[in-house]
Amino acid sequence: MRDLFFVGYLGLLMLMAFKRPFLFTLVYAYIDIIAPQRLSYFLLNAIPLSLILFALALLGFLVSDDKRDVRVSPRWALLLVLLAYCGYSTTVAVEPLAAQEKWSWVWKALVFASFLPLLLKTKLRIEALALTLVLCASALIVTGGIKTALGGGGYGSLVLLINDNSGLYEGSIISCVAIAIIPLIVWLAQHGTIFKPDWKVKTYATALTFAALLIPVGTQARTGLVCIAVLALLFIRQTKRRFLYLTGAAVIGLAAIPFLPSAFSQRMETIQDYKADESAATRVAVWKWTWEFVKEHPFGGGFDAYRINKIRYDLPVVDENGFDTGAVDRREIVDQGRAYHSSFFEMLGEQGFPGLIIWLLIHVGGVWRMEMVARMYKKRNRPDESWVAPLATALQNAQIIYLVGSLFVGIAFQPFVYMLVAMQLGLDTYLARRRNEAAWTPIRKQRMQAQEINPAS
Amino acid sequence: MIDNFSIVLSHGLLLLAFWLLTRRDDLDREPPPEPDAEPQGFGATKRRQASRQDTLTDA
Repeated sequence: MRDLFFVGYLGLLMLMAFKRPFLFTLVYAYIDIIAPQRLSYFLLNAIPLSLILFALALLGFLVSDDKRDVRVSPRWALLLVLLAYCGYSTTVAVEPLAAQEKWSWVWKALVFASFLPLLLKTKLRIEALALTLVLCASALIVTGGIKTALGGGGYGSLVLLINDNSGLYEGSIISCVAIAIIPLIVWLAQHGTIFKPDWKVKTYATALTFAALLIPVGTQARTGLVCIAVLALLFIRQTKRRFLYLTGAAVIGLAAIPFLPSAFSQRMETIQDYKADESAATRVAVWKWTWEFVKEHPFGGGFDAYRINKIRYDLPVVDENGFDTGAVDRREIVDQGRAYHSSFFEMLGEQGFPGLIIWLLIHVGGVWRMEMVARMYKKRNRPDESWVAPLATALQNAQIIYLVGSLFVGIAFQPFVYMLVAMQLGLDTYLARRRNEAAWTPIRKQRMQAQEINPAS
Repeated sequence: MIDNFSIVLSHGLLLLAFWLLTRRDDLDREPPPEPDAEPQGFGATKRRQASRQDTLTDA
């Protein structure tokens, strides 16, 4: 039954996309995020869906789009450099088979992220992409939010549609992404034109934001809590009535504590007491190992190089109340093939210093660039551009939340995030073109242009 | 049950969004923006002064 639903649904989407070829790109994004082939048992499993959709999106661009509007930016070029660099590092990887496997999906994410900005040449296209990303993520967020509100969940046990730990379906990743898209949800509810901001849209946006805030509670991923704290700080920066906002946030936060499951509160307390926590101790040990590794291999070890690690670390013995009993009787733990649990160290270990620098330029560059755009458009203050600064700030906030979350989760190549990067690039180049088109011309030049058009006057 | 509700809700909204997008002309092409009333960006003050000079000379 579910299979037939997804086949019929995809058929409908594609039918509409044949009318407007840009929609193929959005169908590709949908398939990449939701992975309907994983939700169905047969039929869709047998077809290379992503490949077909990407080919159709590319064909649509080549046949029907006006290529004169296409512009690129330095960060767009960096995406291609990163793609080439990762391709090279895969050929010399220390774990060739594992590296090949990761490369098989990373290159797709990077190629799509480089292709996407070329298509984002109208405001509506940018909005349509933002809406598609939010609605696709909402398929996971709504179910996770409701299950958590009804008392379900638990670390590693909140099942979001399918029992799968890949892509957005992994607990820590969805916790980070769910919080990162909240600024976009808010923007869509205020400036959207596809679904105009009426009471229905605002109610849904509020409910979705609430569900997104519940995801870290349901998955009990500590990263999520850190992301919520960062989001709160970012909103303080934007809000005009700071005192009111702070008081409101404090009251809601305190009121929510009794309703949180005790397992959640206990797990979140381990953020402070990280020394006695195995997961945290492993991370520190893996990061040390990575640092030593790149000192010998400055160009990294290729994808999944962590598989060769063998780390030893001490775990202090704690009493029944969770307090460190004193460092005398320590348990030594030996671990093998421990993942990085941090995108920064993932980049450093896998792609070395050059890879980390390119990655930082792409992501931190996004934060900086969106700040520039937001400031510029606040200063321009044109009514027809009132949507620009809030969108730039929303994309900047999403990027900051991702960067903070990725300190503790290895999501350096998460395709969803690269779609956000592509949206930043598309917005940036779109605005540059529009500024150029709207550029003020002196009266003398205007007269000369008029004379060129109509020499008799 | 909850899963199916979530799938139907998100997919229904996406389908509706797609349908609304097929009816919008500004998806593929936008009218040109209104020209700026004043010079913007780097060197804007200089250009503004030069323009004022131009207007005075013309008068």
